[in-house]
Amino acid sequence: MEQIIQTLILGIALGGVFALMGSGLSLVFGVMRIVNLAHPSLIIAGAYVTYWGFRLWGIDPLVMLPVAAVVLAGIGVLLYKLVFEREARSAKYSEMTVLLTFATAMIVEGALGFMFTNTQRVTSPGYATDAIFIGNVFIPMGQLYAGIVSLVIIGALAAFLKYSRFGNAIRATTQNRDAAELLGVNVNLVGIMSFAIGIGLAGAAGALVSFVFSFFPAKHWEWVAVLMSLVVLGGMGSILGTVLASFLLSIIAAFVGVWFGSTWSTMTFFLALFLILLVRPQGLFGEKPELA
Amino acid sequence: MGELLEVTNLTAGYGDGPSILDGAHLSVEPGKVHCIIGPNGAGKSTLLKAICGMLKIRQGDVKFNGQSLKGLRPDQILRKGICFVPQERALFPKMTVRENLRMGGYSLDDRSGLERSIDEIEERFPILKERRDQHAGTMSGGQQQTLSMARTLIIKPAIVMLDEPSLGLAPKIVQEMFDIMKMMASEGITILLVEQNALMGLKNSDWGVVLDLGRTLFKGPAPEVLADPRIQELYLGGKKAA
Ligand SMILES: Nc1ncnc2c1ncn2[C@@H]1O[C@H](COP(=O)(O)OP(=O)(O)OP(=O)(O)O)[C@@H](O)[C@H]1O
Ligand SMILES: [Mg+2]
Repeated sequence: MEQIIQTLILGIALGGVFALMGSGLSLVFGVMRIVNLAHPSLIIAGAYVTYWGFRLWGIDPLVMLPVAAVVLAGIGVLLYKLVFEREARSAKYSEMTVLLTFATAMIVEGALGFMFTNTQRVTSPGYATDAIFIGNVFIPMGQLYAGIVSLVIIGALAAFLKYSRFGNAIRATTQNRDAAELLGVNVNLVGIMSFAIGIGLAGAAGALVSFVFSFFPAKHWEWVAVLMSLVVLGGMGSILGTVLASFLLSIIAAFVGVWFGSTWSTMTFFLALFLILLVRPQGLFGEKPELA
Repeated sequence: MGELLEVTNLTAGYGDGPSILDGAHLSVEPGKVHCIIGPNGAGKSTLLKAICGMLKIRQGDVKFNGQSLKGLRPDQILRKGICFVPQERALFPKMTVRENLRMGGYSLDDRSGLERSIDEIEERFPILKERRDQHAGTMSGGQQQTLSMARTLIIKPAIVMLDEPSLGLAPKIVQEMFDIMKMMASEGITILLVEQNALMGLKNSDWGVVLDLGRTLFKGPAPEVLADPRIQELYLGGKKAA
């Protein structure tokens, strides 16, 4: 029983972080129909921003989080302006964006490796290695903080999308781009902002990742399939779906890890991606496969 | 004569493709219902898209109150008071009815005035009030069309362009849509209607415009167009019984 609760807690904590990692990806896909393969590499970039803030000046990763978010949001705007804006009018938009995001991932990885070497890093604030015990069940503080902060950020994002004027414009553009434009929404601005927010979320996730996992520039490859499985299971572009999928798969992965060993734990996400695409390509909540 | 909207010798098409419209003319009179008819692929929808700025004007001109709309974006044209309800109805299926109405007023700066206008519209269309918190995509076709049309009223438009509002609706519901349209016209809103069902469309309109192969063939008072033997033969042929 204790073992089950323990595993559940670890799964939930990790689920929160994955939810934040996936929600930025989901937002960008929803608005721009771009499967951003560079998203995980940008999360790593956010982790490096946080790492150096901590290592050089001793700034707490949670304080570095907004800094990483803003830096990455800026990079997001640049990426949009330099790479994706002109592609938006191309007839081969989908194919092009897959190649371009792949190339972007390689460039980000290369740049990070060049600047910071391929050494494994981790930020180590005191709480990263702390745990609280409730009976025999332990809750690692680092993961607990990361999970809570993730949920707060996702909650703020959801409220912004639901209740603000511009958030409504983003949702409207996701659901029907032409209609939004006809009603006076500047869809290009929505594209820029969704990139800024989506990549900014990657930065924020990176700040959390920096003390939950150890990382190095090429680490993002492991996450591409993990994040894809979350976004696909969530129904491509649905942020709520992505969040629920994150918890579901993380909890399953935690149990798989306990029962079959940690290699299989990661395999959970790959297998899930494969199975979802075969059995229910529209995801948990999607109505129809949009990537037909 | 003071035309509200004047389309002259308009040429337009999609992307780098061929010109779909080639020499379209149209003069639109204030407060009247104009019905554009023509066979499939004639360019009726294309004409409305060119007027609202979704397509680039290649040649010719579109003038609103004497000012050219050439080169303006859809949002700029909307702010001048020209609303377009496309064939696909342009709703946001996973937003609530109320949120859809609010998006209709996205171009307005007066936010509290907007909430009041939405309340007014809910009073006029009780079904929208009843369904306000429901996702638009879960409503019936007629309700969705009602929402699309009611939504245009929020910006107090000068011209509303409706592309096949009857599409996929039962005949009884179709008449309801035409009634809403005529009510809008009676309030001084100018209507540009595209109808596949020429007979129904013309019966509910003041003017008839016949478009084929991207050019205007004919414009006249709707009853005259209805009675014209050429039109009878070309477009109303199989529907005499109605
Ligand atoms: N998005 C598009 N891209 C390229 N060509 C298009 C597009 N939409 C329409 N066309 C072409 O433009 C021509 C006119 O189409 P349009 O939709 O204006 O006709 P319509 O008169 O509205 O017909 P319908 O009664 O079928 O709605 C057709 O030949 C069509 O193939
Ligand atoms: Mg059409």
